[in-house]
Amino acid sequence: MEQTQLSRAAATELPRGKGMGAALRREQAAAWWFVLPALAVLLVFVFYPMIQAFVISFQNDSLLGGSRSFVGLDNYKNLLRDAQFLGSLKHSFHFAIVVIPVQSAIALGLALLIQKQARLTGLFRTAYFIPVVVSTAVAATVFKLIYNKEFGILNNALKALHLPTTNFLSNPDTAMYGIILLGIWKGAGFFMIIFLAGLNNIPQDLYEASRVDGANRIQQFFRITLPLLNRTTAFVVIITTIDAIKLSGLVFVLTNGGPNGSTETVVYFIWKTSFQQMQMGYGTAAAFILFAIVLVISLVQMKLFNREADY
Amino acid sequence: MRPFYAALKYAVMTAIAVVSIVPIVWMIAGSLRPYQELFKYATSLNVRLFVPVEPTLANYREVIWDDRNPFLRYIGNTLIVAVSVTALVLVVNSMAAFAFAKLRFKGKPIVFALFMSAMIIPAEVTLVPNYLLMHDFGWLNSYTALIVPSALSVFGIFLLRQFFAEIPGEILEAARIDGASVTRVFASIVLPAAVPAMITLGLMTFLGNWDSYLWPLIVLNDDKKQMIQVAIASFSSLEGTDWSKILAASTISTAPILALFLFLQRYYIQGITMSGVKG
Repeated sequence: MEQTQLSRAAATELPRGKGMGAALRREQAAAWWFVLPALAVLLVFVFYPMIQAFVISFQNDSLLGGSRSFVGLDNYKNLLRDAQFLGSLKHSFHFAIVVIPVQSAIALGLALLIQKQARLTGLFRTAYFIPVVVSTAVAATVFKLIYNKEFGILNNALKALHLPTTNFLSNPDTAMYGIILLGIWKGAGFFMIIFLAGLNNIPQDLYEASRVDGANRIQQFFRITLPLLNRTTAFVVIITTIDAIKLSGLVFVLTNGGPNGSTETVVYFIWKTSFQQMQMGYGTAAAFILFAIVLVISLVQMKLFNREADY
Repeated sequence: MRPFYAALKYAVMTAIAVVSIVPIVWMIAGSLRPYQELFKYATSLNVRLFVPVEPTLANYREVIWDDRNPFLRYIGNTLIVAVSVTALVLVVNSMAAFAFAKLRFKGKPIVFALFMSAMIIPAEVTLVPNYLLMHDFGWLNSYTALIVPSALSVFGIFLLRQFFAEIPGEILEAARIDGASVTRVFASIVLPAAVPAMITLGLMTFLGNWDSYLWPLIVLNDDKKQMIQVAIASFSSLEGTDWSKILAASTISTAPILALFLFLQRYYIQGITMSGVKG
C-alpha cells in the first residue's frame, strides 16, 4: 500500500496534460505485461486446480480417463468413518503437538545462545543451520542408519550412558518419535534465524533500564524478551504448525508410513489413496479436509496471538 | 561465578554443535570406508566410528560408474531442473514484483491480494488436479512438468517487492522522462539495484528444488529421468542395500548445496529474516 501512495505522489508532481494520460496508459499496459507471466501460472497451476480439486472431491474418480460419477458428500462421509484416515490425522497431530512447543523452544534457546556477538558465534550459527540445508532424503537416510538397533550411533550413545537401547523405527509405539527427533534436528536452525531477527529488534536500552531497576536475567526474559517477541513467536508457531500438519517427506524415506501404518500422516494418506490406490476423488476429499484444518488452525492462532498483543 | 557461566554456555553451545554436525560427519566418513567396515566399529563409541580404518574411494567410483544406479546422472537431472526453475522464478517473479512496487495500473490491490491469497493454498491439496493437468498437457514424465508449474513464487514476489520499493521513485521517473521505456527502466535500473535480493531468492529456490521429492515422485516414472532425492530414497528403502554406496551418493549430492550455502550464507539468512517480517 505504501508504494501505491508513493507512486501516486510522484504522479501528482509531474506536469498534467495530454502527454501524461498517454504515458499513464502506456505504463498500465506495460504493468499488465509484467504481471502476466506470474498471473498465468497462478491461474493455471494454483486457482484452476483448486477449483478442480473441489469438484473432484465430490466425484468417484478412480483412474485416468476412467468413469467419473458425482457421489455428493459420500467421499467426505466415508472419510470421517475411515479408520486409516482418522489414524493419519492423529499421527499428524501427534507430530505437530510435540514439535510445535519443543522445536520453538529449542529455536529460541539457540537464538539466545548466539545472540550476543562473541568469539565463534558465527561458527556456531553456521553449525546449527547446516541441518536445514541438508536435503530431506539424505537426512532421513543417514538417520535411518543412526537409529539402527545394532550399529547405530544413537544406541551406542545410549549404551555408553547406561540407558536402555531401542529400535525406534520398528516399534509402532516409538516410530513417530524417531520422526519427531529428525524433524526437530532439521527444523530448529531455520526458526533460530527468525527468532534471532526478532531478538535484534528489541531495543537494548529496555534491558539497561530494567537492570538499573534491579531486574535479574530471568525477570528480563519474561517481562521484556517474551512479550516483545510476540509477533515473531506468532509467526514461528503458525508456520511450524502448518509445516507439521503437512509432514510427509521425512515419513516417505524414514519409515514409509510403517511399522503397521503407525507413522502414516495425512499427506502420506492423500498420496497413497490418490496415486497408489488411484482413488483420486477420495484422496482429494481428504486433501480438502486437510486444507480446512490448516486454515482453521491458522486463523485461530492468529486471533489468539493478536489478543495477547492487545493485552 | 561469571567465568563459570561463560564456560557452561560454551559447553552447551559446543554440545549442540556436535549434535548438529555429527550425522553429516558420520555420513562423509561412512562414504569413505568399505561396506564391511561401516558397521564393524560401531558397537562402541570410539574414534574408529568417525575415522575410516581402510579409507577407500571405491564407493565413489562405483556410484559414478555403475550403470544400474547412476547417481551422477540423477544429480545431473536434478541440476538441470533446479537451475531452470531458479532462472524462471527469478525472471517471472521479479517482473511481477516490479509492477506491484513501481507501476500504476487499475486493480493493482486486488491482483496483489489474489497472489497473496495463494499462500494459504497448500500444494498438497492440488496434487491430483495438477497431476491430471500434466496428463492433459502431455507433460507427464517430462521435466516441463517439474519446471513450468514451479515458476511462481509468491514469497519471491513479496520479497522482491519490498526490495524494489526502496528504490527512490524519482530516479525511475527521471529515466522515464528521458525517454526510457518501462522495460529499460526495469532491466537497467531496478534489477541491478536488487542483486542481493535476487541472490537470496535464487538460492532459496535452488535449494528448495534440490530437495523436492513428492512432485517428482508423482509425475516422473522413467527411472533414468529421476531426481536425486527420489533416487536416494528408493535405494535406501531396498532390503540389503549397500549402505556405503548410498552414503557416497548422499555425500556427492550434499556437497554442492553445502558449498553453495557456506559461500552465500549471508543472503540465505537475510531471506529467512525477511520472511519473518511478514508475520
